[in-house]
Amino acid sequence: MSLNATARKPLVTPAAPARAPRPRLTPLPKTAARRKPKLAYALTALGGALAIGAAQIGLSLAITQDSYTLASLSSQQRTLDLQTSALQEELTGLSSPQALATSASALGMVVAGAPSYLRLSDGAVFGTGTGAGWASTVDPNGAGAVSNSLLVPPASADANDGPVADDAATQTEQLPPAITDGLPSPETH
Amino acid sequence: MTTRATRSPRRRTVVALAVILSILGVFIVRLVDIQVVSADEHVAQSLVYLGDKTTISGQRGSIVDADGTVLAESVTVYDWNMDPKAMNAVETDEDNPPKLPWAEASTKIAEIMGLNADELRAGVAAAREENPDTQWYQLAKGLNAKQYTDLKALKLPYLHADSRETRVYPNGAVAGSVIGFLDGSGTAQAGIEKMETQCLAPTNGEETYRKGTNGVVIPGSEQKTDAVDGGSVQLTINSDLNWYLQQMIAEEAQAQGAQGGTVTVVEVKTGKIRAAAEWPTVDPNNLNGSSPSSWYSKLFTYAFEPGSTFKPVTAAAIMENAGVTPTSPTVSASSKEHFPNGAVINDAFAHPTYNYTLAGALIDSSNVALSKFGTMVSPDVRYDYLQRFGVGTKTVGFPSETSGELHPTSEWDNQSLYTTTFGQHFTVTAPQVAGAYQAIANGGEKIDLSLIESCTDADGTVHKAADPEKKQIIKPETAAELNARERRSAGRQRRAHQGSRLPRDEQDRYRADPRRQRRLQVRRLLHEHGGLRPGRRSAVRRDRHSRPAD
Repeated sequence: MSLNATARKPLVTPAAPARAPRPRLTPLPKTAARRKPKLAYALTALGGALAIGAAQIGLSLAITQDSYTLASLSSQQRTLDLQTSALQEELTGLSSPQALATSASALGMVVAGAPSYLRLSDGAVFGTGTGAGWASTVDPNGAGAVSNSLLVPPASADANDGPVADDAATQTEQLPPAITDGLPSPETH
Repeated sequence: MTTRATRSPRRRTVVALAVILSILGVFIVRLVDIQVVSADEHVAQSLVYLGDKTTISGQRGSIVDADGTVLAESVTVYDWNMDPKAMNAVETDEDNPPKLPWAEASTKIAEIMGLNADELRAGVAAAREENPDTQWYQLAKGLNAKQYTDLKALKLPYLHADSRETRVYPNGAVAGSVIGFLDGSGTAQAGIEKMETQCLAPTNGEETYRKGTNGVVIPGSEQKTDAVDGGSVQLTINSDLNWYLQQMIAEEAQAQGAQGGTVTVVEVKTGKIRAAAEWPTVDPNNLNGSSPSSWYSKLFTYAFEPGSTFKPVTAAAIMENAGVTPTSPTVSASSKEHFPNGAVINDAFAHPTYNYTLAGALIDSSNVALSKFGTMVSPDVRYDYLQRFGVGTKTVGFPSETSGELHPTSEWDNQSLYTTTFGQHFTVTAPQVAGAYQAIANGGEKIDLSLIESCTDADGTVHKAADPEKKQIIKPETAAELNARERRSAGRQRRAHQGSRLPRDEQDRYRADPRRQRRLQVRRLLHEHGGLRPGRRSAVRRDRHSRPAD
């Protein structure tokens, strides 16, 4: 029935005279009742805020932690740098040709004169062809010695309070112990 | 349609908005003015009250030899001092007694610093007695990193260290006077240190920061420009060779009773100075260990009349300009002759009148014969040849290097007209002589001497020294001829010259096998009795590391 009624209406309307309909005041439709806010949104927002907060705390913790790590690493670096330079300082002077020549001559070695050459193609020997003589061509300890003050302190230190004193001490120590309380027995743990 | 009621609030809104916008505009303009337009000015103003800066000093670069052996480097040393007042406070703190009491600590400190413990304790006690509030007592200066670590390990709150940079020369006096030294403030005074200051000197950095009340640094306000360390200079010198030659020249000069001596070794093919040895020299680590006269290298700064060593230059001039060959023509010469213009020339040894070829005159080193040969060409030609061989031109630009003295021909008098043929009336330095012989040994091509290989920046960029100038100054044939003479007369003079200890057999090898090329040119000079006289034609020695050429 209602189907018929709606079907009929268009038939009627065109027949009506084309007059602008009078504006009618109609009450505004009642606003739809506010829907209850979805809990999910609130949770999302809150969760987001918390996540941001947590991330920030995490990051700042990480940064703080890193700065501690950095501090400890750079102090480690400083220590290692100091060790490096301490070791290098030990080498300074010892690497000099004077030090080498002096130590070699202390071992009874000599600075050789003219070199000899071996030609690989036919095995021919050029030059003196003999070994070094008994005397050095230069005397690293003589009047012509090329000075290096870096070598003096360790040498004199060794001479003053190093080997000399130690030798005296060790020589007395190395005497067989006086046997007073019977034969000495090794201490065991 | 709009009613009065709706129109009025809109107008109000517009007016309010306009007012707000205009105020905002004013603020924006001001903001831009402050932040952008006159920002720099304001920052500068604020820095006067807030900013401060500290200089970060860079390290001076090192000097290394041709093989990279360090010849000079900067190291950090520490000056230690202590606070006697703080020490006393720690010592008398009864609630919290020190782990290491002063009596014990002072012994350990003295041990590490190499001091006498009793003297140390007495010194501190005396300082406290004089002024109980004193907070500074100098313990030791210039301690090394090992000592620094050891002292830090004692964990004593009243010890303080100030670090500073000092220069160390690991090889001591090897090429000492060539390398030079710095003064107490780190300014180069001599040698390579001075010559290469531009490469070696560091660029200081700085750290700027803002300070709040009480001088507290405001965190985050620090701005740091890192210091750039100085570059490292590589020399052409071989330090081992230099040491050996220094050792030899020192022994030789002392054996001969000379006042000093130098040896210059130049690589023939490149003009690089491989050794610059001299005696007496200085250990830059310890300037006070040698007399101030030896602090500065004489090698480049002392000019002398080269004498017979410059006869080959005369020979080159006449061979190329007067058609003279080593064997013809001949001139007759006795050991002392009066020349028509009044000049008197002597030979070094007495001999009857000989008919000398040029070769003979060179081998006997006859001044009279050379005078006669030399005047076969005009003085201007000889002047030109002396110049070509480097007389009157500085070699490597060493600090206070002298160019020697070459008088123009217009100033040559009757005597010097002849003496200039055998190396008198003009002066040269030892490297100039070496340079002249480099040209002869290198087939007549003179290559400017060099002492600096390269400069390497702190970031590793290598700046090679400019290529030396090369110039063919005499014909290769002339050079070959002079070379052959050189070898022969060198062998002969070697035997005549006792005291020299360069291996004799090497001379014989050169004579036996003329195909062998010299790689190094060695010049040796001895100062005698105040004056400086060149040693005889000195030895020619092959590089120790070289293979025999076949």
